Amino acid sequence: MADDKDVLRDVWFGRIPTCFTLNQDEITEREAEPYYLLLPRVSYLTLVTDKVKKHFLKVMKTEDVEEMWFEYEGTPLKWHYPIGLLFDFHASNTVLPWTITVHFKNFPDSDLLHCQSNSVIEAHFMSSIKEADALKHKSQVINDMQKKDHKQLWMGLQNDKFDQFWAMNRKLMEYPTEEGGFRYIPFRIYQTLSDRPFIQKQFRPVSSDGNAHTLGDLLKEMYPAALPNDGEPKRNQVVIHGIEPLLETPLQWLSEHLSHPDNFLHICVIPIPTD
Amino acid sequence: MSLCLLDEENFHQCCQLLLQQSDELRDGWSWEPIQGTEEGYLRKTALRSVIIDASIKWDQEVSRSDSETHTSCDSGPDQQKQCALAAPSDADIIAGDIDENDEDDGVCAVSAGSSQVLQYEYHIVYSCSYSSPVLYFRACTLEGRSLSLEEVWSSVHPNFRLQLQHSPLNTITQQEHPLLGQPFFMLHPCRTEEFMRPVLQAAQDQHRTVNYILTWLSVVGPLVGLDIPLQYSVQLHHAAPSQTDTPDALLHSLSS
Repeated sequence: MADDKDVLRDVWFGRIPTCFTLNQDEITEREAEPYYLLLPRVSYLTLVTDKVKKHFLKVMKTEDVEEMWFEYEGTPLKWHYPIGLLFDFHASNTVLPWTITVHFKNFPDSDLLHCQSNSVIEAHFMSSIKEADALKHKSQVINDMQKKDHKQLWMGLQNDKFDQFWAMNRKLMEYPTEEGGFRYIPFRIYQTLSDRPFIQKQFRPVSSDGNAHTLGDLLKEMYPAALPNDGEPKRNQVVIHGIEPLLETPLQWLSEHLSHPDNFLHICVIPIPTD
Repeated sequence: MSLCLLDEENFHQCCQLLLQQSDELRDGWSWEPIQGTEEGYLRKTALRSVIIDASIKWDQEVSRSDSETHTSCDSGPDQQKQCALAAPSDADIIAGDIDENDEDDGVCAVSAGSSQVLQYEYHIVYSCSYSSPVLYFRACTLEGRSLSLEEVWSSVHPNFRLQLQHSPLNTITQQEHPLLGQPFFMLHPCRTEEFMRPVLQAAQDQHRTVNYILTWLSVVGPLVGLDIPLQYSVQLHHAAPSQTDTPDALLHSLSS
């Protein structure tokens, strides 16, 4: 059996082949070629697209360039969600490469957070880690870390340094053995059926009678419509990092191994295509 | 521990109580349910005349140093209390005379010192991660243009702005509204428990009840122009004669 640590590596180095094309309405001096990139699943769009920006700016005048943003099939892509989550949620049943449209004007203020520098991404990332630790350890682990430790988490992600990130992140994954897991599991369930962006509540990794809660238990409690009724065919896929984990998988194990670097377990519930 | 945290059920009770009082005072709070769930949030809109101070140099350094110091536990709740109590009654009108940075970086779209009427929308949302309420807000001009984070910062009263920027207790950032999925500004809740503890402790010691939401809102609201009428506390007193809660007692426990 493969070491569970290999899972962390596989998750970290997950990539999505992506084709960036310039929005047709942008004013260019000559035709813009598409730009191809392997996007890290665990990173953020605005953190890994400097080259994309540079590429398209070559054919544009400075005065025609405002804040860059991304769109897939008419939906503005939220940069503050991890890339893998955006792909799983919006595009998991389409052919690769993933085609993303790049915009430089008409920033959709009512849909997207502004992101004019990497420090905004850093603040968002650290804020997510803190929220996750509030759930896992009442913030005790993250508050015991020093400023340089926080920086190490961020630099690890920014520079794609697995060892640097995990040397610190493993502390956020610890828990007292006798408790069998974190206080609460930091998770978010994304679904297409309502306007609400995600479901997030308190959920313990171990039931009151001492059994480990599974992914299925979580869904049954939070979003029962995601699960098929007895005898009926499956209507939804439950996707984390592009795979469908067994519903019997213990939630604590998933939280430790399939969480994003922001320490949240991002779970997508996607209707199975009918055609 | 449970003393300083607010569970979801208590959140709803506190909101109901605040709504009852708001109905009597007619100051505009409403409950907005989320379709198909039992969840929701408190909402209020207000028009404010604000002078946006374009001479304030807001840059990424400010936000970065904020986020860096965010988890350092070196400053107590005193700063927060002072800054809330130092509120002048006309906190809405803001003069930009504090910042020493005169460089005009033109980060604000509004010319220096111009007064304008803005539409503010405030939401109180429950955070299950921090077991506390969170204040979300957005602001736009009467023409419908949304304010940027820079403009929001510069519309914060200078007294508060200095406090916010030099203390990790609260910081304004743009975040996704957890129930609506739209961009809002928010005051970060990660220190709420800390500054609520002495207030709730004092209340418990004196055997009086406080409405967590009301007390919390009286601390964080004024930072972003949301003033809580004193009548709320007077009303609370009349509504529950067995309690000894008065505005003076509230103020006392905040400043002690």
